[in-house]
This record gives sequence, structure tokens and C-alpha cells, in this order.
Amino acid sequence: MTAIKTLHILNKSPDNPRAAKCLEMVSEEDGLLLIGGGVLFLATGNLPGAAKVFALSPDVDARGLGKLKWSSASAVDFAEMVQLSLQAQRVVSW
Amino acid sequence: MSTLIMIDQPPYGAWTGREALDMAFSLAAFDQPASLLFTGAGVNWLRQAQEAGGIGQKSVEKNLSAAPIFGIEAIMADRSACSTYGLDENSLIEGVTLVDADAALLTNYDHTAFAG
Amino acid sequence: MTGNSMPERNNEGFLENAQDWTEAVATAIAAEDEMELTEKHWEIIQFLRSFYKEHEMSPPSNRLFVKAVKEALGEDKGNSIYLMQLFPGTPAKTACRIAGLPRPTNCL
Repeated sequence: MTAIKTLHILNKSPDNPRAAKCLEMVSEEDGLLLIGGGVLFLATGNLPGAAKVFALSPDVDARGLGKLKWSSASAVDFAEMVQLSLQAQRVVSW
Repeated sequence: MSTLIMIDQPPYGAWTGREALDMAFSLAAFDQPASLLFTGAGVNWLRQAQEAGGIGQKSVEKNLSAAPIFGIEAIMADRSACSTYGLDENSLIEGVTLVDADAALLTNYDHTAFAG
Repeated sequence: MTGNSMPERNNEGFLENAQDWTEAVATAIAAEDEMELTEKHWEIIQFLRSFYKEHEMSPPSNRLFVKAVKEALGEDKGNSIYLMQLFPGTPAKTACRIAGLPRPTNCL
């Protein structure tokens, strides 16, 4: 994993106004980690192209999205989620 | 008196949706006509193959499958929200009717209440 | 079953761990209420366990328990008198306790 400047952790679903605000702020050097309702962005497909996108597997599976083929994001487990937060220079929890 | 319960919140993030489901089941227990309508991010309740064990919750998909047994009249989903979330007849659970969640639909019910 | 082999239970007598359930445990829980389990009891217990497996919930109230039994086994068994005779008290609660399932959420 290359260095991430800011890791945005998004747990809001695509319908939530805060989710739109979050996506506006994600830049190319940033990482976007989808957790909770945030993983529903895998279903809507409207993710920012530039940034690295990650999705928390247990949350993906809970919502029945595990079988989707998504090239837009990489799956992470809880341990990898912790690693990501530690590696990032800063974290924004939305 | 017929009641429509609307769920527009995504599954698993909060308890409000489950409380609404419980309310619908309680109406059905007393033979009061009740239907469920899923809109917005709420349509994600209706996706097949949810595996919620990893987050320590019960599958809302499996909970919902008890609705017809308890006498819930209909499970409906807003057509456009389903298309936003990539849900079609292949990925929706059984027994869901696609509708347009508009004012005309609500005129069919004496009372409409939202979850949360 | 001897006292010390009874698995851990909560203050209302429901199992703490679902996987602890065996038919012997069910028999022992029933015996506490001086109930002897017959084939009629087992039929309802097995129904409840399969209901839980399919829906990941116990029927949340007595009325819904009766409805669910009626749907699966017909009106002869899906009525409150029949179920009350088999599982005295609050039938849904008594039956779930013996079947090793969580307490129905809306039973007092």
C-alpha cells in the first residue's frame, strides 16, 4: 500500500447529504474507506475515479454485495482497516 | 384501517428500520392491514444473499421473509430507488412489488408512517 | 440430566448460547415447570427451531407464534387453546425457552 495523505472513512449511505460532501473533498492523493452504509456506493457505482477506494468486507457481505464484481474498490478486513488508518497521515471520519 | 410503513433508511446502520418492521408485525398480529414500502437507500433491505454474521447482526433479509407468514399484506419497493442501487428482479428477494412511491400510492392507505 | 450439566442460562431461563441446546436440555428445562414433553410438544419445538433457522428470529409475540404455527401446521394446532395446553403460561415464551431460542421480543 502506498502512502495515503488523508483517509476518509465514510459510513453514510449514498442518500445521506454528508456522503456527497465527503466525495467532494476526496482528492487524488487520498484514500476512501467505505464502511457501514457507505459500502452501498458499490451498488450505485458513482465513486470518485482518482482516489484509492477500499470497502470493509463484513459490511459488504452483510448487505449482500459480496458477490458483485466491483473493480472500483479493494476489499479490506478489520485488521487491514486498522493498518490503513495507521498508515494515513490523517483520518477524517464522516 | 390500513397502514403503510415506509423505510427509507439503509439496513444495519441504525435500529429504526427494525423497529418499523416490528411495528408492522405488531399491526399484523392484531389483524390490522399493514404494508411495507422501501424507498431511497431503504431498498437495500431487499437485496438477496445478505450475510450479516460478520457484523454480529441477524439478516434483515431473513427477518423480512417472515412478513407474509405474519400477515403483512405487501412488500413494495420504489422502482427508481431500485434502479439507483442496481436492484432488479434477479437481485431482489422474492415477493417484492415494484411501485412508484408517489402521492397517488399513499392515497391507498389510511395512515402512512416513516421508520425513524 | 444432572444439575451441573445444565448449560448457562439468563435470569428468565433462556439459554445464553444457542449451540448448547440438545433434546436432553429441552427435557430438563421443561421438567422445571413439571412438564413432560410428548410428541405434540416436539412437533412445535422442531417447528420453532426451523422457523428460527429460516427467519433468524423467534416469533416476536404470542399472537404471531399462533399465526406462524397455523401457517405451517394448520388450524388444529395453530390456535391459542392448543398451544396454551401444551406450553402453559405465555406459550411463545415457554416454547422458545424449551426450544433453546431467544426470548420473543414482545412477550411480557
